[in-house]
Amino acid sequence: MAISLSKGGNISLSKTDPQLKNMLVGLSWDARSTDGLDFDLDASVFMVKDDNKVRGDHDFIFYNQLKSTCGSVEHTGDNRTGEGDGDDEVIKVVLDKVPQDITKIVVAVTIHDADARRQNFGQVHNAAIRLVNQDTNNEVTRYDLSEDASIETAMIFGEIYRHNNEWKFRAVGQGYSGGLKALAIQHGIQL
Amino acid sequence: MQIRKGQRLPLAQLLPENLPDGSFQIQVGMTGLTTEVDFSCFGVDGDQKLADDRYMTFFNQPKTPCGSVSISLMNNRINGFYCTLSSLPASIDRLVITATIDGSETMSRVQSGFLRLVAADRPVAEFAFEGKDFHNEKALILGEFYRKDGAWRFCATGQGFDGGLPALVRHFGGEVADELPTDVAPARLSLEKKVAEAAPQLVDLAKKASISLEKKRLTDVVARVGLVLDASGSMTGQYRRGRVQEVVNRILPLAVHFDDDGELDVWAFSAKPLALPAATLSNYADYIDTVNGGWRKWRMLSYNNEPEVIKEVLAHYKDTAMPVFIIFISDGGVDQNAKIKKLLTEASAQLIFWQFVGIGGRNYGILEKLDTMSGRTVDNCGFFALDDLDSLSEQELYDRLLQELPSWFAEAKSKGIIN
Repeated sequence: MAISLSKGGNISLSKTDPQLKNMLVGLSWDARSTDGLDFDLDASVFMVKDDNKVRGDHDFIFYNQLKSTCGSVEHTGDNRTGEGDGDDEVIKVVLDKVPQDITKIVVAVTIHDADARRQNFGQVHNAAIRLVNQDTNNEVTRYDLSEDASIETAMIFGEIYRHNNEWKFRAVGQGYSGGLKALAIQHGIQL
Repeated sequence: MQIRKGQRLPLAQLLPENLPDGSFQIQVGMTGLTTEVDFSCFGVDGDQKLADDRYMTFFNQPKTPCGSVSISLMNNRINGFYCTLSSLPASIDRLVITATIDGSETMSRVQSGFLRLVAADRPVAEFAFEGKDFHNEKALILGEFYRKDGAWRFCATGQGFDGGLPALVRHFGGEVADELPTDVAPARLSLEKKVAEAAPQLVDLAKKASISLEKKRLTDVVARVGLVLDASGSMTGQYRRGRVQEVVNRILPLAVHFDDDGELDVWAFSAKPLALPAATLSNYADYIDTVNGGWRKWRMLSYNNEPEVIKEVLAHYKDTAMPVFIIFISDGGVDQNAKIKKLLTEASAQLIFWQFVGIGGRNYGILEKLDTMSGRTVDNCGFFALDDLDSLSEQELYDRLLQELPSWFAEAKSKGIIN
């Protein structure tokens, strides 16, 4: 049984699952049940240093750059509607391969074209993030955002970070207006 | 406080503390449409389904059984709802405020609209929306009040369905018979009106009957209605406890609605059948205890002889030009299976539909097999059994009673039995 976190909570990945090396970060949400334009959600990852900034654009993993140069983080592709059970988007992380100067892996989700479609996270149902050990299929932890999401168009779902030589995960649930662009600027991407 | 579309908040953040008995008002309004907007409040369960029709609060059903939600009117139009969340049953997980329109317009034509929370006569929060938020919707979920971790929250939903009210009803797990009639108000109001004038105690039942009639699209049907009451010895307790009188009360609104003269033809039967004077809105109240000297003097309470009463009913309606809807109450112990089967098979080309209802008994014999009985021109019978009359809510009872009638009408029309 995976440990379920609430907003702000954190967990030691190394202690909870000592065998954890190859990790899947699963992001899920419900497809829209009402009529109108689909919710097209995109997952992105910022690999950042101690100062919360990327080393360069190559540390920003998103739908146009699916894999980090070091090979430690890989985005497996885009689901356009949230249709289907299970994870809607999956990011693979090989913890041992993450460069030492990268201290935090920030997992964010943004709504594509949110302003034009007049959409926000408050309208998306059952958004969740979960971490799965790819080798054992064991779900290590999960965080359901449903009530923490509101009128924002970009959300940091969670972050995987180094702490005293171990990996930890924090359920962030922090929303931002301004979509992917605002998030990218905040994490030091030059646009 | 302004609430934006998609925003989710604890209700305690919106309402002032120390509200008298926790009640507040929801006000709704929309401008820019030429069609009239119908506002409703759906009280749904944890699966987001309308498990109990009585928790749909709208013009024709102005409050929930618990009284926690009721409509507020201005110029005889709904302008909102009064809410006391603390008295809602725990099974109601969410109150969904909706707006629906008919016709060719869509919600994109809305100039401005609002859902406003008013506490102690003062507006405390407002969710404003406009047509740009929508496309082709004809039904909108404006906002939702819901339980979460022991507290109520509010979400400004602002999403909807192109298919209007039927799509909304399906969303909440309801069934929509083909297509809802576009204007049923006159028929259902007339039933309520007839009952309200002559027998105000039956208004509540009449409303429920109206809702079922509307759902089954039976509002325009004219038919004779007959009630056949088992009066065999085993029924004594049910007569004594007033349960049979309850049956008359519940069936009478259907007769008032369907029948041109508003009369319910009644038979009792035991070893022999007994035709009783018709039940009407003026004599129904003590019907069982007073008609023909009261049930104790009917010389019934012997064994149950269904074939004889079926023959008498058939003879009574032999020359009718109008379809006939018979509700036949039995408490079981049915053993003349071959005779009953022959009579009903031969009668399947007649204008009569037989709805058998088992109450508080067992061994219903052939009655349980009526639906699949072969050799009939049309399926002219239905059956269901209840442990007790109150095993079903009044609303469910009407739904069940009227369940098979629409398909019988359709089949009888296609076979030329009904013109």
